Amino acid sequence: MKITPGGVVAAEWTKFSSLRSTWITTGISVVLLIAFGVIASASFTGDNLSAVDLALSGSTLAALAVGVLGALLGAGEYTTGMIRATLAAVPRRLPVLWSKSLVAGAAALVTMTAGAFAAFALGSAVLNDGVGSVGLGDSGVLRALLGAGLYLGLVAVLGVALGMLVRSSAGAIAILAGALLIVPGLAALLPDSVSEAITPYLPSNAGSAVMALTQGENTLAPWTGLAVFAGYVVVCLAATAYRLKKTDA
Amino acid sequence: MIQVREVTKRYGAKTVVDHLSFTAQPGQVTGFLGPNGAGKSTTMRMIVGLDAPTSGDVLVNGKPYASSKAPLHEIGALLEAKAMHPGRTAVSHLLTLARTHGISRSRVDEVLGLVGLSAVAHKRVGAFSLGMGQRLGIAAALLGDPAVVMLDEPVNGLDPDGVLWVRNLLTGLAAEGRTVMLSSHLMSEVSLIADHLVIIGRGRLLADTTVADFVTAEGVRVVTAAPDDLRALIAGPGVTVTSTGAEELFVAGTTARAIGLAAATRGIPLFELTPQNASLEEAFMDLTHNAVEYEATR
Ligand SMILES: Nc1ncnc2c1ncn2[C@@H]1O[C@H](COP(=O)(O)OP(=O)(O)O)[C@@H](O)[C@H]1O
Ligand SMILES: [Mg+2]
Repeated sequence: MKITPGGVVAAEWTKFSSLRSTWITTGISVVLLIAFGVIASASFTGDNLSAVDLALSGSTLAALAVGVLGALLGAGEYTTGMIRATLAAVPRRLPVLWSKSLVAGAAALVTMTAGAFAAFALGSAVLNDGVGSVGLGDSGVLRALLGAGLYLGLVAVLGVALGMLVRSSAGAIAILAGALLIVPGLAALLPDSVSEAITPYLPSNAGSAVMALTQGENTLAPWTGLAVFAGYVVVCLAATAYRLKKTDA
Repeated sequence: MIQVREVTKRYGAKTVVDHLSFTAQPGQVTGFLGPNGAGKSTTMRMIVGLDAPTSGDVLVNGKPYASSKAPLHEIGALLEAKAMHPGRTAVSHLLTLARTHGISRSRVDEVLGLVGLSAVAHKRVGAFSLGMGQRLGIAAALLGDPAVVMLDEPVNGLDPDGVLWVRNLLTGLAAEGRTVMLSSHLMSEVSLIADHLVIIGRGRLLADTTVADFVTAEGVRVVTAAPDDLRALIAGPGVTVTSTGAEELFVAGTTARAIGLAAATRGIPLFELTPQNASLEEAFMDLTHNAVEYEATR
């Protein structure tokens, strides 16, 4: 009998899978991703968006939902008092953060990748005539769909980190929504020169770059964008790790 | 074994635990007593590394808790506040802890049986009563077959049956050679279970003693026809005699038996000979009287 990294991961998976709220939030995330993709695909009649862009139009809301999933897992430890039992069992503490992030990230990655492919398949079937359909073999399609899963997986990790950093579900969700949805809107209010320079680097814009089939002029390259978003997640994880290690539970 | 060594804990400007040292030994039940707000829960959180001491240190079985490879095997702790997610079932809650150490599912069922929760193993803990929550917390503490069992106010919320059950459980664990420590703000909850008493007030050690020693510090009330003769007869080193009335004496430092025998040798009539073992509760109140944090205004 001893603590092993695999054991801590297994424990975090048990925590994840034994709560009804995780299944509900995960289910909502998948449904949002697929439903919005299909609805957008079926209703769009212009010609400036690709079939992939349409299929992934639910990604913004899905990001919010998986972020909430992560935040609830992270902050729930503190709001329920469970953290004391958790850290008494794993007094080194940091393995808990890594394992929880891994479990939430992997769960979101798997379900959201599946959701992205499903949205693409279903959405392609209902496209209007004016929109050119594309196949998985076409340039960038696979990257965009897999990228969507990776981005949403990272958002779940960000949620976990924020939840354990601020130790309150409402606080973490507010910060998450602010960072993903509100900050881009605020940036648009800045003078154009400033706004154009920073907009591509804002979290949701950078992360979304990997899902766009064709890059607009004011966006980062796909993998660069995802790497920038991963950078935000790493910074947040580092802050959380510091607080977890240094302060009383 | 738990060794608390010169531990101080401050929250901001407030000193909650103040240069506290004591040892809880294997094979004994150590009662950790103090009025509400004395710093018991804080001390217990420091023992399992949840709060860091401002200065001083704590050893569990001779080493810092965080350095253990199997912490749940070193010490099982029930902390004051419910440390569980209300949305999980009792089994899932214990499994989340068991998995970290590779503890088997059958052990989870075993401890649930031990605390009498088998029937509600698959009920969500949010619906548990305070007493059931305490039992689940005790199950969690026993999960890793720990050398040290530390329970913060364990009988809180238990019915009389439950109190008796905890008492038997803890004395049994100590008899197996484990270190057992439980806290309470009520002497009556602890005096029947504990061998060793650690009493604190405002974070300071007030007494580190045994239940037996803690009460024998009192005296004997004597009512006699010849108080002066008796006083002369029993006076001696370590014996103090105070006159409390015309025919009344209060004698400390010797026993009722010794006084009775001495009086008989001289034919001194005694009307009353009463050992004044102030109850443990009173002795505890006396000791902690000045250290009560929130006292009713009088
Ligand atoms: N995290 C904290 N921050 C500030 N004060 C605290 C904290 N935890 C406990 N205290 C204070 O420390 C004192 C001792 O609390 P506690 O250890 O819970 O006492 P006990 O368990 O003996 O009743 C109380 O005055 C309490 O308000
Ligand atoms: Mg307490």
